[in-house]
Amino acid sequence: MSASQSAVRSRAEAVAVSRTFDWMILFTLFTAVLGGYHIHYMLTGGDWDFWSDWKDRRLWVTVAPIVSITFPAAVQAMLWYRYRLPVGATICVLALLLGEWINRYMNFWGWTYFPVNFCFPSNLMPGAIVLDVILMLGGSMTLTAVVGGLAWGLLFYPGNWPIIAPLHVPVEYNGMMFTLADLQGYHYVRTGTPEYIRMVEKGTLRTFGKDVAPVSAFFSGFVSVIIYFLWHFFGKWFNKTDFISGENV
Amino acid sequence: MKIIKDKVAKLSFVALLITMTAAIFYTPTASAHGEKSQAAFMRMRTIHWFDLNWSKDEVAINETMTISGKFHVFAGWPETVDKPEVAFLNIGIPGPVFIRAGSWIGDQLVPRSVSLELGETYTFKVLLKARRPGDWHVHTMLNVEGGGPIIGPGKWVTITGSMGQFVNPLVTLTGDTIDLEDYALDNIYFWHALWYAIGLAWLVFWAKRPMFIPRHIAVSSGKADTLISAGDKKVGIAFALGTMVLVAGSMASTNEKYPVTTPLQAGLMRGMVPIDMPATSVVVKVEDATYRVPGRAMQMTLTITNNGDSAVRLGEFMTASVRFLDADVLEDESGYPDDLLAEEGLTSSDNSPLAPGETRTVNVTASDAAWEVYRLADLIYDPDSRFAGLLFFFDEDGNRQMVMVDAPLIPSFI
Repeated sequence: MSASQSAVRSRAEAVAVSRTFDWMILFTLFTAVLGGYHIHYMLTGGDWDFWSDWKDRRLWVTVAPIVSITFPAAVQAMLWYRYRLPVGATICVLALLLGEWINRYMNFWGWTYFPVNFCFPSNLMPGAIVLDVILMLGGSMTLTAVVGGLAWGLLFYPGNWPIIAPLHVPVEYNGMMFTLADLQGYHYVRTGTPEYIRMVEKGTLRTFGKDVAPVSAFFSGFVSVIIYFLWHFFGKWFNKTDFISGENV
Repeated sequence: MKIIKDKVAKLSFVALLITMTAAIFYTPTASAHGEKSQAAFMRMRTIHWFDLNWSKDEVAINETMTISGKFHVFAGWPETVDKPEVAFLNIGIPGPVFIRAGSWIGDQLVPRSVSLELGETYTFKVLLKARRPGDWHVHTMLNVEGGGPIIGPGKWVTITGSMGQFVNPLVTLTGDTIDLEDYALDNIYFWHALWYAIGLAWLVFWAKRPMFIPRHIAVSSGKADTLISAGDKKVGIAFALGTMVLVAGSMASTNEKYPVTTPLQAGLMRGMVPIDMPATSVVVKVEDATYRVPGRAMQMTLTITNNGDSAVRLGEFMTASVRFLDADVLEDESGYPDDLLAEEGLTSSDNSPLAPGETRTVNVTASDAAWEVYRLADLIYDPDSRFAGLLFFFDEDGNRQMVMVDAPLIPSFI
């Protein structure tokens, strides 16, 4: 067979090869995103995602969406411009959460015996689905950034509240009040994570009384819009094929 | 000859592979906490732990033990380390092999960070409940913001039993009795599994049709708009609306199920109450101090004045948790860790009782392998080559006086 001959001999073979490529590319994309996004999120979100006693109503709500909208924006740009596939954010979050759960179960629990109810990851799926659907319906990166980015920030806390609420039940312990999450942080010793490192309930939103989570979520959404734009351009830039010669690339 | 060389090369490569493979079967327990690698001046001139007591050497799962004692916050705190204005009484163990059931400075429970004063001495107690079987090195520890972990002496404690027996029962303020060890775990798994399944369904909806090559061809040929059908949009709207309804509904039902929740508790605890140490009537002036590298010994020339009303003798020099004792004056009965105890490590040119009103200049030597083992000799390479420690003097009735010393140290290499 010469280089100018086709590798397939029929349409059925071409379809089969195409589907094989689909699964290969999907698998490769999934695992590459799993690795890259996981490292990125661990380095930027880190302890806020690791520990229940970091999941507060101010900084966790603010930081986690801002640092996590990055890869979804970039992968959305790639999959939308090249393939019109509105699944970029969902693939990213599926990959991230799979990696997170492997990490939490194998490392945090399997190696160091921190209970899983203390070190479970944050749930980013609601925002991812809405982000993908907005892109599909609007077909506009600007609209997705503004509306989707805001939704990404706003959906984060309510999407996680059913998971963390039981750990915010108060308990009296040796004459002081804790939430159960605080008590987990106190009981399950982290030698390298002293209490003062914990960045929770810090800030100047005191005029909002106890209703700071929505304000934090709005702020997070606004910043997520900006981060979306930035990472969307990263995605487009990385998606260039300048290094490949050919007509249809 | 070439054949022999090739064979040797091949066999060498096989041997290398076998060696590397065999290495995975050797997995010794990592039990150190890095205490020896911490800069010597930090261990000598920050927190001095003394009068320590580990209540047990062996505990069963669910049983408790305490570590108690005192720590002195050194007045000559080094400039290169932030002062302990924000500090946390921690415990140096390899992960949650115990749970910290309580920790106190004085009578105050200290689950949060605290502010400490230089030059003061505090009592402390840490209550530990055994969780994971094994032999564990249990250290005292104070974390200082801007300074890092300052680790104290460690002692081996054995936990027996099975981790499956461990329980951590609590009664919440809403009256529920729970086991914190696995509380709400099913709820966490359920919500994560549900949302993962929804996300997977969205992906499968798109992955069940040709994805990359045909779509790329269509986009490249200007037919991108044909790739999203009206049906796709309807399904997308259903996913988005379903997501928002599920989020709102689950939040409402959660609030109904848990009507009482509070924010995470945080804040700095000030006003830790130090103890009143007995008034010191002994005054010590360090004339000079040298560390003799070949002999693993520190020599100090001290001018000691006894302003009290009873004769005293020098019994102990303690620095960086290493205790050098003069066996004629003091014998340890606390079960202090052997590797940190030089029972005959302190000698003096004249350690006869120093009478009231008397002043004497003596040469004191603190020598032990611990200088090397605990890498205190590295002090000579530290950025602030000073030594510091506590001297303990005793009168005939056994009354103790604690005197701090802090002075430059000159290394001697011959």
